[in-house]
Amino acid sequence: MQEIADHAQPRLASGVRLQIDPATGKGVLLFPEGIVELNETGQEILVRCDGRTLSDLVLALAKDYDVDPATLTADVRETLGDLQRRKLVEFA
Amino acid sequence: MTAPRPYALLAEITYRCPLHCPYCSNPQQLRRTGELTTSDWQRVLCEAAQLGVLQVGFSGGEPLVRRDLAELIRTARDANLYTNLITSGIGLDENRASELRVAGLDSAQLSFQADDVDLADEIAGARTHARKLDAARVLKEAGISLSLNFVIHRRNIDRLPQMIDLTEALGAGRVELANVQFYGWAFLNRDTLLPTREQVARAREIADAAKARLAGKIDIFYVLPDYYETRPKPCLYGWGQRYLTVNPLGDVLPCPTASSAIPDLRLENVRAQSLDWIWRKSESFNRFRGTEWMPEPCRSCPERERDFGGCRCQAALLTGNPANTDPVCSLSSNRALIDRVLVDINSERPAAAWQYRMNPTSNGACAPS
Repeated sequence: MQEIADHAQPRLASGVRLQIDPATGKGVLLFPEGIVELNETGQEILVRCDGRTLSDLVLALAKDYDVDPATLTADVRETLGDLQRRKLVEFA
Repeated sequence: MTAPRPYALLAEITYRCPLHCPYCSNPQQLRRTGELTTSDWQRVLCEAAQLGVLQVGFSGGEPLVRRDLAELIRTARDANLYTNLITSGIGLDENRASELRVAGLDSAQLSFQADDVDLADEIAGARTHARKLDAARVLKEAGISLSLNFVIHRRNIDRLPQMIDLTEALGAGRVELANVQFYGWAFLNRDTLLPTREQVARAREIADAAKARLAGKIDIFYVLPDYYETRPKPCLYGWGQRYLTVNPLGDVLPCPTASSAIPDLRLENVRAQSLDWIWRKSESFNRFRGTEWMPEPCRSCPERERDFGGCRCQAALLTGNPANTDPVCSLSSNRALIDRVLVDINSERPAAAWQYRMNPTSNGACAPS
């Protein structure tokens, strides 16, 4: 699969819901017969999948966490790429 | 042991079904009848959410048979549950799909018996394939996320590539290619349904190749035929660990097939007890919870936390004792029971005709509908 472009707009795939698990307070992805418990990074990435581009998403995360965007890009690409392969995230 | 929190509820809201698939996991015989009412189900859904359940699958039978389905979906959504409809698609038109969508349905899993109309209708024992194609379109148009479910067996396993093609053509995002597991009617028809070793090997290659080819486009979930494995499936990820089922009569079960496969299982009912009590305290949910109940070779096995000793229903059906190691395991002293079946299946021998699933009648017996 190709590397995700900077201008790609990640979003949840059809039928996938992101919500907070009331039992743990953590984010979960819900889809047919499946549940993925998200780590903090995954959750912070996914709540920002609101139509903005990958590069904007990285910039926003870097600002909120006060880190260098360059150090985040690879992690964000890896997380979204993994979710894309499982058909939980798609790109517009 | 302390009860963990459950994640998913299977709500079998009716046993009635217009199809007669010979592998149906519903019980072959019902001891009593009388479906739960709308308000019974609404209470069950709310209690499930309070217990920690995040997801509910509406199944059956054919859940569309119940006119209150949209109302139940709405209740589930109001309780913040993810709602999934497991359906044959029979009874679904534009109006019904829109009603379900408005109620908050998240996704639908539409069953297909095959890609080919004649074969599919023969397997279903009813002319339903064309209507399923319509249902797929209707679901897509209503904006409901669509998955396809195929049950795989000797008569259709050679058509895996065509089934995957149909999934692509219908625009489904996910497909479950599930080799039949032998419970309920499928156990009765095992000799007719079990594929050969060659068929299984080829199917696995096809599924693996399609998974790689369609990654990111279609999520392919291939369920292995466990008789051909040497280790048991991690059934339910452990008894009473993540899942619970409520059947049409209100019985609460660790899995849908437990009531028929394990005759001495003490059944608890939502009409008499809270879901919370049944999940945490009942004898049935605690009977095989954790590892304390395990006999050897499971008890000292390093894999006991990985496969949980396999399936209690399979142990009961094949060995007569649900506490035995799943006979699929090559370490089980009962593995010969599986091997004997495989030898028979793989010898050149004409298959017997299968027996179609029949609908429950008011007196509890089963009869053709």
